[in-house]
Amino acid sequence: MKKTLTTCPYCGTGCALYLLADDAGRLVGVEPSATHPVSRGHLCIKGWNAYAFVHHPQRLTTPLIRRSGELQPASWDEALGLVAERLLAIRDAHGPDALMFFSSAKATNEENFLLMKLARGVIGTNNIDHCARLCHASTVVGLAATLGSGAMTNSIACLEQADVILVIGSNTTEQHPMIGARILGAARRGTKLIVADQRRIRLAHHADLHLRHRCGSDVALLNGLMHVILAEGLEDRAFIAERTEGFEELRAAVADWTPQAAAAVTGLTAAEIVAAARTFAGGERGAIVYAMGITQHTHGVDNVKAVADLALLTGNLGRPGTGVNPLRGQNNVQGACDMGALPDVVSGYQKVAEPAVREKFAHAWGLPALSGHPGLMATLAMNAMADGQVKGAFILGENPLISDPDQAHARRALTSLDFLVVQEIFLSETAQLADVVLPAACFAEKDGTFTSTERLVQRVRRAVAPPGAARADWEILKELARRCGGDWPDYPDPGAIMAEIAGLTPSYGGIAYPRLEPFGLPWPCPTPDHPGTPILHVGTCTRGKGRFLASGYRPPAELPDAEYPLLLTTGRTYFHWHTGTMTRRTHLLDREERGPFVELHPDDGAALGVRDREEVTIASRRGTIRARVRLTTMVGAGTIFMPFHFAEGAANALTHNALDPEAGIPEFKVCAARVEKTPCAD
Amino acid sequence: MRRLTEAELLRWLRGLEDRFEVLLPVLLVDGSRALGRLDEGAPALAGGRLPRKPTEAFFPQHDPVLTAALDGAILAMPAARPLFVLGFTAADLACLEFIDRFFAAPFRDDLYYRRRAGAVVAGLTGALGPAGEILPPAGGNCDLEVIATGDAFLLDPYTPAGQSLTGEVGVPAAAPELRPVQSAAAALSDEPQRLLQRASELIRADRVPDAFWAEIGTRCIACTACNLVCPTCTCYGVQDWSYPDRTERSRMWDSCQLEGFMREASGHNPLGSEALRTRRRIHHKLAADVERWGHLTCYLCGRCDAACPTGIGIQAIARELVARYG
Repeated sequence: MKKTLTTCPYCGTGCALYLLADDAGRLVGVEPSATHPVSRGHLCIKGWNAYAFVHHPQRLTTPLIRRSGELQPASWDEALGLVAERLLAIRDAHGPDALMFFSSAKATNEENFLLMKLARGVIGTNNIDHCARLCHASTVVGLAATLGSGAMTNSIACLEQADVILVIGSNTTEQHPMIGARILGAARRGTKLIVADQRRIRLAHHADLHLRHRCGSDVALLNGLMHVILAEGLEDRAFIAERTEGFEELRAAVADWTPQAAAAVTGLTAAEIVAAARTFAGGERGAIVYAMGITQHTHGVDNVKAVADLALLTGNLGRPGTGVNPLRGQNNVQGACDMGALPDVVSGYQKVAEPAVREKFAHAWGLPALSGHPGLMATLAMNAMADGQVKGAFILGENPLISDPDQAHARRALTSLDFLVVQEIFLSETAQLADVVLPAACFAEKDGTFTSTERLVQRVRRAVAPPGAARADWEILKELARRCGGDWPDYPDPGAIMAEIAGLTPSYGGIAYPRLEPFGLPWPCPTPDHPGTPILHVGTCTRGKGRFLASGYRPPAELPDAEYPLLLTTGRTYFHWHTGTMTRRTHLLDREERGPFVELHPDDGAALGVRDREEVTIASRRGTIRARVRLTTMVGAGTIFMPFHFAEGAANALTHNALDPEAGIPEFKVCAARVEKTPCAD
Repeated sequence: MRRLTEAELLRWLRGLEDRFEVLLPVLLVDGSRALGRLDEGAPALAGGRLPRKPTEAFFPQHDPVLTAALDGAILAMPAARPLFVLGFTAADLACLEFIDRFFAAPFRDDLYYRRRAGAVVAGLTGALGPAGEILPPAGGNCDLEVIATGDAFLLDPYTPAGQSLTGEVGVPAAAPELRPVQSAAAALSDEPQRLLQRASELIRADRVPDAFWAEIGTRCIACTACNLVCPTCTCYGVQDWSYPDRTERSRMWDSCQLEGFMREASGHNPLGSEALRTRRRIHHKLAADVERWGHLTCYLCGRCDAACPTGIGIQAIARELVARYG
């Protein structure tokens, strides 16, 4: 038996667990770390089962090349040779910006850094992005503008010190269960809990106030709260005077958002809004926790700015128990952003548009110059692929055919490419469309680091060998770069890549593997002797003054109408992870949620004449799918909810590709749909 | 009974490694304690019960059941060395005694007994609590017991297997050496037992309304840890994985807190709510097993209370239940 301490591969909470391997090198279980500050001997069900997909028979064990229309086994030499040849041919024929690189929030920091280096330093394009575009792109933009840093301001442990917690657009017990458990615990010990969510999520059962505002009405709600706080003199005047700017503009902007005005838009009562404002402002230490319910809107950046405004208005920043706490979804989505797997920044959010930044990286990488033209966001790249402007794509560990909005559009984009490479652990729906598939090691089979939602840079450690010929992503990228003409150091291990990251990335300047034993460091950690920074914006914001940026209310891009009378909101379930690549191959998780379902209010069910568990058709202007009905008061009448995990009933066949103008994030949380009682085709 | 220093005890354990797979509490890199081999980490005898149930040595989280070749032939499993497992508290040994009976009852669980038969089980008790407090000696339910007195370890064999291994190791010890540990153990409060017994009586007398279970159920996030860490939980799921050259059947710890645990093929579920599932978990240990086996099947090891992220382990529930309805 071998026990390997590592970091959970599912959500961004960053729990530490041991992978247990038998003497034959097979994983046989998981044990939570008893001493880790987040896990503390606890895990959620996905953590307890994190070992269970690793040896699945469908793991990719050899490179695949499409020949005569079929993906067929090939050697690494053939596969990487073909990838390099085709990527370079497209670059030479159409320019480097005809290629798009999708990095992965599931891969390590080191791997994200290398793919970013490959795209920018070897191919010569800033066309690199990853699934943060679909989850917290609004946060990165909105918090950078207001506070100067697009990350969770406080630590997870801080939540236990809050007097009041506002959870808005986060189903925390399902999506960040160990954080949700802390919030539940805090509420039981007397912390006031306000839950703002259309769905009656578990936290709502334990909340002092549950605000079931209409999906997409967050700006109205938040402006209404700020109006009441100002009207009743509950704002933190000393904090506003010393640490903020733009206050008068905010005051003017929320002046019209009386509780009655906010109530009219949100569907709440004016009394609910007043009570929530008083409760939140009444706490000495107030924390705001949010996630996709805030970000995945065409006004996602506005939502995030309004959240930041509320924290600034009440002085809830830079102290324990306070903060603006976006919960990052993927195990390493924070790190993938930190590493510059984004079209406009290299690692540490250093802008490619700034000559000094380009010069620093070009010098370090031994290159004459780097492109200063920001690349394509992932969502816009899909449009450019469908339009034929982007000819080739390299996708590392993402499954956009299931995860991106408007599946027909995503399919058109992916199938329009001249050349598609997918680097994966399973033959995902996207990989099935590829010209070349490169088999990768999973989290349990490689070394590296993940950065959790609280900016904790933590080690990932190899517990078992990868299956067959599969290799770690960093090893594949290193070899591919060499074949594409890159002159890279011969990194012996991921620790050597981290040394390069630390040298180029101020916030990671003090990160080195020996310092991450056993549990990691929170960035910013600029120097080798710096202890890390659990709480941001202490004394001053990263950008100096906190900047109020008021937002006007804009309705979602598509609302229910006579033809599509229901509001469809999408998300995830507790038991599955995104497109189910791993969790649908984990026995207990797969057994728990077997297939697509739609949550429907019993009143809507009665009007349609459908029974619980009956299979129905769900249609939007983009497509039509089948799923089983779950009659539940979890949703309000008029709203339906679907998880997007299931390829056979893909919620994203219904969602639409309407984007936030600044962040490029799709409006997964609102579109119009209808449910039809129609018999099975068979 | 023999007396040993810690060094002598470890030397003796090392000497057993040529005949046994020796497992004992070891310290992992982050300070967690777990059952492991002597080469996996520094021995960590002190610290109280292990976070993970030591019965995992016989009923692991994930266990191969069989491997079939393409022609359907069942391939032989490699023979495993007999186990020597040190690290059971008295409560753990009571749990082991119960699941020994459970897995022996028709149908006998061959997979369990594949490891359990021939294994040597050693209790680890005495002055080894997290802050030096006394873990009550078991006085039986195992092949031998290692009892820490504070300045030495007493080795007390209870079965022929235990006697044959302890033989002439250490120096003879007299019974009085045990008395301070025994009297300290006797002074321990029996309040947890009385509380659990009272909770059992209330449940069996139907004094606990559904609303109580609904309220507890809303606090369950279905992490399943309560079941996974429980030494008397014996439920498992089964999966088949077909590779190009073989099919592997394995089983893994399951949980009655999962909706899928009792869901019927139609989709109907007799345990279709969190309230019912939470009720069942407690009811099983404190009422149903009392009917079937004549005793409670929670031995107050404390693991579910430690592993539950939301504070609804069995002792926490028993406390709330007795406070409200007792």
